[in-house]
Amino acid sequence: MRRVQIFSGSSHPLLTDAICERLGTSPAKVELKKFSNGETSVSVETSIRDQDVFIVQSGSDQVNDSLMEMLIMISACKGGSAKSITAVMPYFFYSRQSKKKSHRGAITARLVANLLSVAGINHVITVDLHAPPTQGFFGKPVDNLHAEPLIARWIKNHVPGWKEAVVVSKNPGGTKRVTSLADALKINFGLVTTDRRRSGTNGSLAGSGFLERMGDGGIESHISDTADTSPPNGTAAESEDSRIPPRIRTSPRLAPNINGASATSIPYRGLNGYTRSSPLAQSTRVDSASPPTNRIPVQREPVTNGPSRALRLEEKEEEEEDSANEYTDERAREVITGRLVQGHIVDDDAPSPVLSTMSASIATLPGDVMGQPQLDGLDPMTSSFISSTSAFQPDHSALGGSMDATAHSDDEEEGFKNPEFEHTVTLVGNVRDRTVFIIDDLIDQCGSWIAAAETVVKRGDAKKVYCIATHGLFGDNSLEQMEACECIDYIMVTNTYPIAPERVKTCKKLVILDISTLLSEAIRRNHHGESISALFQHFPD
Amino acid sequence: MASPNITRSREGSDSSFDSDSELFKHEIIKHDPAGLGTSKTPWQQTLAANRSTAPGDINDGLMELLIMINACKTASARRITAVIPNFPYARQDKKDKSRAPITAKLMANMLQTAGCSHVITMDLHASQIQGLSMPQTLHSSKLLIIAGFFNVPVDNLYAEPSYLRWIRDNVDVRKAVIVSPDAGGAKRATSLADRLDLNFALIHKERSRPNEVSKMTLVGNVKDKCAILVDDMADTCGTLAKAANTLREHGASSIVALVTHGIFSGNALKTLNDCDALSRVVATNTVPFSEKRKQCPKLEEIDVSPTLAEACRRTHNGESVSFLFSHAPME
Repeated sequence: MRRVQIFSGSSHPLLTDAICERLGTSPAKVELKKFSNGETSVSVETSIRDQDVFIVQSGSDQVNDSLMEMLIMISACKGGSAKSITAVMPYFFYSRQSKKKSHRGAITARLVANLLSVAGINHVITVDLHAPPTQGFFGKPVDNLHAEPLIARWIKNHVPGWKEAVVVSKNPGGTKRVTSLADALKINFGLVTTDRRRSGTNGSLAGSGFLERMGDGGIESHISDTADTSPPNGTAAESEDSRIPPRIRTSPRLAPNINGASATSIPYRGLNGYTRSSPLAQSTRVDSASPPTNRIPVQREPVTNGPSRALRLEEKEEEEEDSANEYTDERAREVITGRLVQGHIVDDDAPSPVLSTMSASIATLPGDVMGQPQLDGLDPMTSSFISSTSAFQPDHSALGGSMDATAHSDDEEEGFKNPEFEHTVTLVGNVRDRTVFIIDDLIDQCGSWIAAAETVVKRGDAKKVYCIATHGLFGDNSLEQMEACECIDYIMVTNTYPIAPERVKTCKKLVILDISTLLSEAIRRNHHGESISALFQHFPD
Repeated sequence: MASPNITRSREGSDSSFDSDSELFKHEIIKHDPAGLGTSKTPWQQTLAANRSTAPGDINDGLMELLIMINACKTASARRITAVIPNFPYARQDKKDKSRAPITAKLMANMLQTAGCSHVITMDLHASQIQGLSMPQTLHSSKLLIIAGFFNVPVDNLYAEPSYLRWIRDNVDVRKAVIVSPDAGGAKRATSLADRLDLNFALIHKERSRPNEVSKMTLVGNVKDKCAILVDDMADTCGTLAKAANTLREHGASSIVALVTHGIFSGNALKTLNDCDALSRVVATNTVPFSEKRKQCPKLEEIDVSPTLAEACRRTHNGESVSFLFSHAPME
């Protein structure tokens, strides 16, 4: 191509080489070094006057150095009278910090967008932005390319029996990404979601509620009570709706647990009545993909006999199905739950981290509003009021509309390692004896990936698990941990982000898909002024 | 009127700057007539103190500063003052060859884009003029160039009053002479010499490449005197060592170096330890270096945090800062 210069930053020279090779050119000469005091120095060694300049720089472990280098290169090209400057950032710096996560939190992605603009870019090319609205932070055109067609083609060519496979999202926020790929491959999809439960809080509240209600009854005696009465309830639940086979694969102890939870909830509600008095309370459930429920009043009624309990159980299931209905016509036949302690699936009778059997039983009930810890039950208005008037803060809520599913997907890693927390994993969709593709946009920490993989294998009896993402950041030693995880069979990422060659060698499961075709084609089309919309389309079979 | 919030940019491994910001706070509380201390509720003003350019992680520090400024901006701070004692990339302020980036200009744009409404820095105008090839630049101060990049006010403070106090306290002033290690620093050296009523000398060096010194010529008499070398920055210290050797050859009895920004990168410590002519190297704590003091006993520190704290206080209260150009506040 004439009158084009493609510069490579120091973060990912291999990718630039691959792009240039496809375009039949070579990277433009630039000297990148550091002064002895740590300041980055850039020296552009070829003429760029009135030429189209493309600067390829991805994130790296030294993200700030990469970013400064990029900014200085842009500034140098701008000062050197380039006709246009396009920043090619396969992985966009700070893309995960695209909204305020706490009071006075920084929106760093917007800051970076502004910095790039002020340095002098005219155009941005990137791949699979973590939050697509980040495009709006730039005053300049942004081409957000999709790796999905490449991934779909790879699946079709390399995965035996992919037509029977299931695409699974490991958090509710990623559902859109997953359904898109499922549609492209014309296969089913599923969803794994985790709810954080602070077992300590739960246990103490539930315990106190019990004592109040039961009068003299101890916890153990109550469990045995409910265990005795539970089987009829379970059968009632199934017989009421015989069209659909048992949709909850109950573990031996699940039925009594449901009873225990519903029984405790009555005094529990009484203790925290003020949180329910808000009219907003009904529309503030944020912990899963289910739509806001309007069934809370039903639960106010004392639940003491079998049929009404069974009714509530049905309603719970319908909720789960409603969420599935938003995306597909097929009803979810399977809702499977599991317990997650310190990032791993445990058996239902394993001891809870804080030695509270009650918290375990509450946590096993899927999507139960009443089983929520006190803080989670607060609606945003109340919590923001509380946080602005006192030092008390609900642990992960925030102002600025961050109480959505995506925020949870960003934060989900944080709680996994914490032994204080126990999580409930819910798997929606049938994965039995099938290959599973777990999809997200990036792999950084591995906790949620391993948890999702263990859920589909141990609870859902999946045959093979592929972890697929566009950006393989692999922070800390997550690549090694995923390699060691027996539930994961393959890890597939693209080469948008540099991975050290020695790490690649040690990881047998890792498959790296070359993305340079996509980027080079985008560069070529941009230079010639052609449409890039063909790059978003899937390859014909 | 509530007092400002001072935000420190990172828990440095180096303790000196931590103590600085503590001192900032301390000074401000001490001078605050209303005694309001650092109340948190209204965000009147934020002073983001960057730990400036510690070698190695300058870009990390810079990004951190920008993100902090932006966070304060989005949290509706009324005014955000960046206190950057050692302004990064100040040396790259012109297009000295084709297609070279003017990074100092980029820096100014970035700070303003992030939301900075005021900048306080120290000894910015210090000469980095390389060689005497452009005599006209002798009088063009770097302050004007870089301050011109900004559309917001830039307050440049001077370490000179702190120098003066140190010299009076530590050197026999009657037998001293101020020496500038390069022609660009002549103005600062003469200013200091005037204030102390001393003679001054100048070393003319020819520098072929940055951070490298080739030949040195001394102008002035240093025989049997205590030579005080004054420079704005000690980086690899090659210049200082060579200048000290030149002074020793010309009969100086003892040689002391005073610098504003002690970066001491590369093998600076080894150079200093090997240079017998140089007995003491004194730097201000705009850049943290107390770890390095353990490896090089010649290093000494002047605390400039009272000056910066007083500047913060005066800026916040809308008082004049120019008093600080000639006086160092008592510690």
